[in-house]
Amino acid sequence: MPNPLHLPMVPRALRNLVSKPATRRYPYEIRPRFAGARGTIEFDVETCNYCMLCARRCPAAAITVSREERIWAIEQLTCIGCGVCVDVCAKNSLSMSVNSRAVHLRSEVGPQGQRPGHEEWHKPAPAAADVPVG
Amino acid sequence: MRRTTIPFGPQHPVLPEPLVLDLILMDEKVVDAVPTIGYIHRGLEMMVERVEYTEMGFVVERICGICSFMHGMGYCVSLESIMNVEVPERAAWLRLIWAEISRIQSHLLWLGLGADAFGFENLFMHCWRMREQILDIFEKTTGGRIIHSVNRIGGVKRDISDSELDAILVQLQTLGAAFKETARVFGTDPSIAHRLGGVGILSKVDALAVDAVGPMARASGLRTDTRLIGANYYDRIEFEPVVETAGDCLARVVVRMREIDASIDIVRQAIDKMPKGEGLPLENRPRGNPLGEVFTRLEQPRGEVLYYVKANGTKNLERFRARTPTFANIPAMIKLVKGCDLADVPNIILTIDPCISCTER
Repeated sequence: MPNPLHLPMVPRALRNLVSKPATRRYPYEIRPRFAGARGTIEFDVETCNYCMLCARRCPAAAITVSREERIWAIEQLTCIGCGVCVDVCAKNSLSMSVNSRAVHLRSEVGPQGQRPGHEEWHKPAPAAADVPVG
Repeated sequence: MRRTTIPFGPQHPVLPEPLVLDLILMDEKVVDAVPTIGYIHRGLEMMVERVEYTEMGFVVERICGICSFMHGMGYCVSLESIMNVEVPERAAWLRLIWAEISRIQSHLLWLGLGADAFGFENLFMHCWRMREQILDIFEKTTGGRIIHSVNRIGGVKRDISDSELDAILVQLQTLGAAFKETARVFGTDPSIAHRLGGVGILSKVDALAVDAVGPMARASGLRTDTRLIGANYYDRIEFEPVVETAGDCLARVVVRMREIDASIDIVRQAIDKMPKGEGLPLENRPRGNPLGEVFTRLEQPRGEVLYYVKANGTKNLERFRARTPTFANIPAMIKLVKGCDLADVPNIILTIDPCISCTER
């Protein structure tokens, strides 16, 4: 027969009455990120030489670089924040901010709904007659 | 007696991840269970064909959110043994420390989920509050709470300063002391003993027969732990695997609780023994492409994990395969479920600590 007066949580419950809550009131109280936390990738357009190393090494294929058109693009929803691009960039054009990215409602997609990383990204949109109906 | 089939999962209040069990019942007793997996397959192993071997570690890490550090470490250890790269001493110690901290994190997560499954929501909150402190340690030292991305082939990306290591140890020991109070509730509360004690007993003979791994096997009295083979600097640590003999659901809870203390002690020993100082080497970058094949074993929080890597001398590996502990424990779970009451099924499933993301990759 178990002892009905065995209440091992009582000391903790009494302490909780006088202690601060373990949670924060999140939207009003935001804890600053720790220094060195991994956040979004930041790009410096002045120094980049469009060598395309970051696009080739990105495990998620989130980066698109075009040397001819001098375009550097990242799809934030595909980026996994591993930091490989920052490590391989010879010109130090890429850096990682400690702030995590805001929630994107829509992915940044190409004119035909492609994601960057696909070769169709920079192709012109097909003529209306080429688009299959239905 | 009527024979009924009840589908358990893929969505069920106690299941954090989609597992399906078709339970065949005679009245209230389960007579058979047919598992089905395949709801969360992402084809990560196939990605070796597209992602170069240097970056594949970051993909492997994402197999699972709970043991992500160990997955990344296992991949890097495999490639290091193929390419004959020696990891600098401080980097190897840092890996060991992170691995043990992630074990504490995983066990706290599971204890919380387990408490929630048997209806003790208060304990769930306490366990997850403690786990949050561990996640803060990870965010400070690796840059990420869940996905750490610090392992690289040949070493680690980041260092932890000596003063920070000491602070982490103090924080872990404080947490260990605070956890004792929660552990006392798990160990002495009559409702928990009633719900878990004597339920789902896996005998030592059966555990051997169905090849149970990890805490599941250790709760049945098997002294099995991959850390005992001494790889990855575990041979320099004095430690004894936590073994319980009862083999029931409560014993599996107790094993994981005691492993938290054991892991804190391993971290303490590692911080004592590692070389101190700033600017010590952390990485030996490998040269060229890997050629050869290797099997690697690690002890994850859920048990032994096995990696097979085959490299063909190009930038992309030929084959990467992970056999995860949950996959090895599914036969044990099926064995336990047969013959138990329907009401005990959630607890039995949860006490194997199922990680279906790992299992399906």
